Amino acid sequence: MKTLNYFWHFVMGSLAVVSRGTRAYYAWVGLLVLVILIGVGAYMDQASTGLVTTNMRDPVSWGFYIGNFAFLVGVAAAAVVLVIPAYVYNWGPFRDVVLIAELLSVAAIVMCILFVTVDLGRPEYVWHLAPGLGTPNFPHSMLVWDILVLNAYFLINYFIVTYLLFMAFTGQKYNPSFIMPVIFLSIPLAIGIHSVTAMLFMGLKSRPFWHSAILAPRFLSSAFCAGPALLLLVFQVLRSVGKIKISNEALFKIGELIAYAMAVNLFFLGVEVFTEFYGETAHSVHARFQWFGIHGSSAIALWTWLALACNSLALVGFMVPSLRYRLPILSAACVLAIAGVYIEKGMGLLLPGMTPGVLGEVYHYIPSLNEVMVAAGIWGIGVLLFTLMVKVAMEITVGKMRYEQP
Amino acid sequence: MSSPKQQEEREVRGASRREFLKTAATGAAAVMGAPGAAQAFDFESFLQKNFRQMSDEEIDEVLDRLSRKYSKKYGKDVTVDAVGPMDDVVYGYGLDISRCIGCRRCVYACVEENNQSRDPEIQWIRVLEFEREAATRGIDMEDGNPYYDHETVPAEDKFYLPMACMHCEDSPCTNVCPTGATWSDPDGIVVIDYDWCIGCRYCMAACPYGARKFNWGEPNVSAEDINPDMHLLGNRPRSRGVVEKCSFCIQRVRKGRYPACLEACPVGARKFGNLLDPDSEIRYLLKHKRTFVLKSELKTNPKFFYFYG
Amino acid sequence: MASNSPDPEDYRPPGYQLVTWVILGLAVVVVFGLTSIRTDHQPDTSRDYPSRPQLPDVEPVLLPPPPMDDEYFPCSDCHEDEPPNPIERELEDEHDEMDFEHGTLWCLDCHDLNDREKLHLADDALVEFEDSWQLCTQCHGKKLADWRAGVHGKRTGHWRGPKEYRACVSCHNPHSPPFKPLAPEPPPLRPENITPNGNVRLEAAHE
Repeated sequence: MKTLNYFWHFVMGSLAVVSRGTRAYYAWVGLLVLVILIGVGAYMDQASTGLVTTNMRDPVSWGFYIGNFAFLVGVAAAAVVLVIPAYVYNWGPFRDVVLIAELLSVAAIVMCILFVTVDLGRPEYVWHLAPGLGTPNFPHSMLVWDILVLNAYFLINYFIVTYLLFMAFTGQKYNPSFIMPVIFLSIPLAIGIHSVTAMLFMGLKSRPFWHSAILAPRFLSSAFCAGPALLLLVFQVLRSVGKIKISNEALFKIGELIAYAMAVNLFFLGVEVFTEFYGETAHSVHARFQWFGIHGSSAIALWTWLALACNSLALVGFMVPSLRYRLPILSAACVLAIAGVYIEKGMGLLLPGMTPGVLGEVYHYIPSLNEVMVAAGIWGIGVLLFTLMVKVAMEITVGKMRYEQP
Repeated sequence: MSSPKQQEEREVRGASRREFLKTAATGAAAVMGAPGAAQAFDFESFLQKNFRQMSDEEIDEVLDRLSRKYSKKYGKDVTVDAVGPMDDVVYGYGLDISRCIGCRRCVYACVEENNQSRDPEIQWIRVLEFEREAATRGIDMEDGNPYYDHETVPAEDKFYLPMACMHCEDSPCTNVCPTGATWSDPDGIVVIDYDWCIGCRYCMAACPYGARKFNWGEPNVSAEDINPDMHLLGNRPRSRGVVEKCSFCIQRVRKGRYPACLEACPVGARKFGNLLDPDSEIRYLLKHKRTFVLKSELKTNPKFFYFYG
Repeated sequence: MASNSPDPEDYRPPGYQLVTWVILGLAVVVVFGLTSIRTDHQPDTSRDYPSRPQLPDVEPVLLPPPPMDDEYFPCSDCHEDEPPNPIERELEDEHDEMDFEHGTLWCLDCHDLNDREKLHLADDALVEFEDSWQLCTQCHGKKLADWRAGVHGKRTGHWRGPKEYRACVSCHNPHSPPFKPLAPEPPPLRPENITPNGNVRLEAAHE
C-alpha cells in the first residue's frame, strides 16, 4: 500500500516535471507534437484508404516502414554497448549515463512496434498474434519470435529504468540482488532482438540478397555504430542543457567503441561485396542493383556509395585519437555514422532485397509523401517519449524531484 | 479427432475468449470511432476464430452470415460454402510450355471466376514472355516480361511462362505467417483464411513465385461481375489489407470440376488432376513427359509442373 | 547520475559472472539454433476435416467435331461429275483459297478417291469425316496416347466426374494444323499505375 502511494506520487511528480520547462523545452515539445499530428493525419488517410497511399506495391511489398523498423531495432539493441562495460566490467564513467542509454532503447522499441503496426493491412486484427487469444505460428514464424523478444526487451528495459528511478525518487536504496539479474538478462535479449530481426530476413530463401549468414553479424555491427553515435549526440545535448554531468572520458570511450564496431561493420560489408561480385551468380543482381543500379536507374546506387562514404569518414573520425578527442569532429563523425547506417540498414537493406522482385520485375520504389509523413509522426512520438523520459530522469538524478513527506 | 472432454474445454475457452474480445472490441471501437474510420465495423467477423479452430457449427454460422451479407450486397443469390478436401486426393497441375501461346485467356477467366478486384487491379495469374534466345542461359526471371502487348500471340521467337501459386509441398509462405492464417490443406491446396490475415505481407516476402497479391486498396467487383458460387477459403470477396492468391479454384475442384484457367485455355496447355491416382492426367504427364518445376533449388517442392508436350 | 545507477560491487556472489555468461551463451545458441529448424514437411496442421469420399469418376465423352463447311460439303456435289484424277499435283482452279500446310501430304492421302464422302486409312479402310481422328493418329501415334490420357488436347467439365474431350479437328484445321495466332488479352497494370485513385493507365510514363 505504501509502495502504491509512493508510485502515485512518482507518476504525478513525473507529470508535473514534464509539464514544466524552459521556453526552448516548450518549443521543442510543440514542434514534436506538430510532427506527430501531421503523422496521425497521414495515418488516418492511410487507414481509411488502405496501404495504397504508400508507394509499396506487390513487387516491393515492404518499404520505408520496415526499413525504419530494421534501423531502430539496432538503436534499441545498442544500449548493451554501454550496459556491458557499465555493469559487467563495472566501468564507472558509463554507469553515469547508462540509464539514458536504456531510455533510448525504450523509445526505439516503441518506434519499432509502431513502424510494424502501421505497416499492417489490418492492424485491428493484431490480437490474432496474441498467445491464448489468437493462433501465433510459434516457433515457425520468425515474426512471432521478433514480436516476443521485442516486447520482452521493451518490458525489461522499461522496468529497469522505472525501478531505478522510482527507488531514487523515494530515497530508498535499490535492491541489487533483485535488479542485477534483470539487467544481466537484458544483455542477451539485446543481442537476441537484433539477431532475430536479422533472421526475419535471412530465413527467406526466396530473397537471395537477404538469405545470407552475414546479415545478422552485419545487423549487430551496424547497430553498435548507429546506436551509440546517437547516444553520443544526446549526451552532448543534455550536457549543454546543463543539468547532468557527463565526463569527456565517457564520450571518448564511446567514440572508441564505435570505431571498433564501424571497422568490423565495414569489414563485413567488404566480405559480402567480395562474395557477390567475385563469384557473381544470377543472385548477385540484387547487389548489382544496390551498387550500380540496373535497368537505367542508379538512384539507389548513389545512396549506397553515399552510405559507404559516410561510414568510412566516420571510421576515420572515431579511429584517429587526435580527431576523436575533438568534440566537434567526434559529433560530425556521429552524424556521419548515423546517416550511413540509416541508409545502409534501412532502404539499403530493403530495396535491393526486393528489387528485382521474385519474378524479375524492377519496380523503382520511392516512399510516398504520405508514407514519409506517417514515418515522421512515429519518429516524433519516439523523440517526444525520449525527451519526456529523460527530463524526468534528470530531475530525479539531480535531486529536484523527490518524494516529500506530506 | 479430439475427445469429447477436449472438445468441451475448447468450447468453454472459446466462449470466455469471445466475451473478453467483445468487451475489448467495444472499447476499441469507442476509441476508434473517429470520422473516416472506413466502413461500418463488422464485429462478427472481427470476433471470428481461426478457420482451423472453428467447430462445424461455427463454420456453418459464418457461411450463413456471409451468404446473406453478400446476397444483400450484390443483389444476387450468393452461396458461400466450405467444402472440405476429398479423401486420398492431392492436387497437381501441369502446364505445357511447348503449347502456351501467351494469350492471357487464363488470366481473365481466373479474375472472373475468383472475384479478383477489377479496380485496383489484382490478377492471380501472370504470364511472362521470354526470348527463346535468352532461355539458352536457362529461365532467368529477370528476362521475363509480363507487360508484352502484341497484335497477336505467340510473337516470333518468344515463349511464355504463366505463373500462379505453385501450392508448394514445403511452402515458405505458410511457414512464415505469424498468425497461422494460411496453411496447406490435406489435398495440398495452400489456402488463406481471409478473416484471419492481418496483412503483414511476410508471406509475400517469402514466396519465391510472386504468387501472393495484396489488397492495397479497397477491392472492387461489380454486382454484375460477381461470381456467386463462393468458397470461404477461395473466391469469396476479400477485404482491404489482406493477401490473396490462386487456390486451384478450390470452389470448383473440391466439387470435382476443372479449374477455370484450364477450361479457358484455347490450346489445351493446362492439365489438372489427382497426384495420388496413378491413372490421372497429371500422373500420366509426370511419367511420360519431361517436366520441371520453377526454382527447384529452393526445395519448395511445387505441385505445379511445367512440361514439354 | 551515479547515485541511482546500480553498482555491481554491491552484489557479486561467487560465480555470478560465470552464470551471466552462460545465460548469454545459451541465449545466443538458442537463437542461432533457430536457423536449423526443419521447415520442410509442414508441421502446421490443417483442420480436422471429416472424411469425404471421392466423387465417382465418369468416362470422358468425345464431343462431335464442328460441322463441315457448307461451301464444300457434301464433296460429291461437285466431285460427282468430275472424273477422278489420282495424280499428285498442285490444285490451281479449285480449293486454291485454302491453306495447305500439312507436311508433304496431298488430298488423296486422306480423302478417298472413289468415295468422296469418306476418308481412308493407310490400309484403305474407309472412315467417316466425324471419325477423322482415326486417320490423324495413324501418323501422330504419340499424340494419340497423350490425347487418350487427357494430356494432349483440352478436356472440360470435371477432373472427377462427367467430362468432355475433343477430336483433333475441333482445334486443328486438318489442312493446316498449326495453331493460328490470337489477339492477346490486355497486359496487367504496372505497379506504379495502381494509385489511391484506382487504376490509372499512364502509357506515356513508361518505356
